[in-house]
Amino acid sequence: MKVVIRLFGGLKSEKDFPKNEEGDIIFEFSEPFTVCQLIDSLGLNKTPYIVVLNGVIINEFSLPLRDADEVSLFPPIAGGAW
Amino acid sequence: MRILRINMNGETPVARFEEMGDYEGLGGRALTSAIVSKEVDPLCHPLSSDNKLVIAAGLLAGTVSAMSGRVSVGCKSPLTGGIKEANAGGQAGQVMGRLGIAAIVLEGKPRGDDVYKVYINKDTVKIEKDNSLKLLPNYDLIEKMKKEFGEKIVCISIGPAGEMKLAGASVAVTDKELRPTRHAGRGGVGAVMGAKGVKVIVLDDSGTSPRQPKNVEAFKEANKLFVEGLQKHPVTGQGLPAYGTNVLTNIINEVGAYPTYNFKEGRFAGARKISGEVEAELEKQRGGNPTHNCQRGCVIRCSGIYHDKDGHYLTKQPEYETVWALGGNCGIDDLDKIAMMDFLCDNYGLDTIEMGATIGVAMEAGVLKFGDADGAINLLHEIGKGSYLGRIIGNGAAYTGRAFGVERVPVVKGQALPAYDPRAVQGIGVTYATSTMGADHTAGYTIALNILKTGGYVDPLKTEGQVELSRNLQIATAFIDSTGMCLFIAFALLDQPDTNKALLDLINAFYGWNMTDKDVVEYGKKVLNFERDFNARAGFTKEHDRLPRFFYKEPIPPHNVVFMVKDEELDQLYNW
Repeated sequence: MKVVIRLFGGLKSEKDFPKNEEGDIIFEFSEPFTVCQLIDSLGLNKTPYIVVLNGVIINEFSLPLRDADEVSLFPPIAGGAW
Repeated sequence: MRILRINMNGETPVARFEEMGDYEGLGGRALTSAIVSKEVDPLCHPLSSDNKLVIAAGLLAGTVSAMSGRVSVGCKSPLTGGIKEANAGGQAGQVMGRLGIAAIVLEGKPRGDDVYKVYINKDTVKIEKDNSLKLLPNYDLIEKMKKEFGEKIVCISIGPAGEMKLAGASVAVTDKELRPTRHAGRGGVGAVMGAKGVKVIVLDDSGTSPRQPKNVEAFKEANKLFVEGLQKHPVTGQGLPAYGTNVLTNIINEVGAYPTYNFKEGRFAGARKISGEVEAELEKQRGGNPTHNCQRGCVIRCSGIYHDKDGHYLTKQPEYETVWALGGNCGIDDLDKIAMMDFLCDNYGLDTIEMGATIGVAMEAGVLKFGDADGAINLLHEIGKGSYLGRIIGNGAAYTGRAFGVERVPVVKGQALPAYDPRAVQGIGVTYATSTMGADHTAGYTIALNILKTGGYVDPLKTEGQVELSRNLQIATAFIDSTGMCLFIAFALLDQPDTNKALLDLINAFYGWNMTDKDVVEYGKKVLNFERDFNARAGFTKEHDRLPRFFYKEPIPPHNVVFMVKDEELDQLYNW
């Protein structure tokens, strides 16, 4: 299974993932795999604060990923401290 | 602090100072809205001698408090026909405060078509006819003012658009570098200044000192805590200084709320090319600066300086709204062209939001194609030239939609919608529909909770909680706009109760007041009541508190939603 990961606002991955033409990470996984596990696997320089899954902001990181999902991650620069 | 009234009637304009009187305790938007609602006939023609242009500094203007130098510009709007408060950064607020001027009120109207310059320092107010200034673009005007009055000045001015009395005309305020880059943009306030024959107000605070608080120690302590709060919050302390407001492009695009091709779609393929991250990088590479404050005393520094590809100054860092309006909304993904349009709007004195929305409508009409950046640049030049096409575009989206027979015209109360689609963010739709200002995002910035999770989270795709959210933010914003503080402090205030307390302590220490959170709410409501009252007397009804029909009928991709908040719910917003 593959999902597309976009990192914004200075978020970077310390690992070397394959990328598509736009520079998005192509992340391979086998089910079951949650958003939380994804974030842990990415080796990010900052903790993401806003997580957008297929265009929708999610607050539950235990949601399972599905094939062809698109995940966009933003650090707390665009959000608050709670 | 006193009010300076300048009457432009008669052979010679007359200036006189008066005490605050009934306006004591009011500043910024509270002061402009109180004066306009009390003194302006709501049925007057906005360009007539019965309208007034009120330029007000905030409650803490001219003190050493951080963030306190914003300026409010109020009048009956030529664009909406209702009350207007447009808000700008730049140096004017601080300087007015130090000169002891709470508000400058332009009244009356000269009989001929002469233009005047006003010069104010601590000893004098001089009003002089100067027709050599006619139709000068703002940058050229400022150069002339520098030669005449030196470099320790601040200028409040209009460009050719204001002189032509176009409803998209802004009032410019010079920044720390004495450039006309900060604008009271919305609602055609520049046209009212133009109708009163005032081209520029030059302020010089040489020889003045900061205003002194009643309780010096408490003020200093509160300011220290306030600044610390702003510096430690991720938005005000990291995101905005690093990337500016344009940090919003990517997130608004990712959640499908980025109005594209005149509000037809919610995502723009070219969004990442024009994002804040790219803009900041470009600025650094070219010798510009992505971390810059537009006024002394600002510790957030969301502004920036944008150089062209040859490393020369082009314009201030274009804001998110500008990059959206003149960029993504028009299908344009070239930051340099967008930056050029930002410069042109600053120079001609135009609201970038209104101009971008208008060009989007013109593109829908087939006047030019979506994505035609050079065509868009030419349209702005048409305004500068004063051609008939320019006068259409310069009068805004509603006017242009009429001229070209366009149905999808994104305006409320005649004012163009800003950079968030109300179908994908139901909360901002409530603000757009109900605000006394027309479609206005800052009036009740629900994006903070709908998208940015600052101070909580309210699902943007549902109707639950949106009216209450918009109401609370509209009230709080009306108060913040009256303090002269930059609205961006709200991110820190929403999340950090100690920063919120520090702001109140600042005000209380300065004035010797005992304001509580409850008093803040009452203050905000009072301002909104002035505005609602004026609008009602101007002929506005609840039917004007609605979005254009297409937002209720046309689902927007990618979420394929329409605006769903019921009319009856909108009508509850001001029931207090």
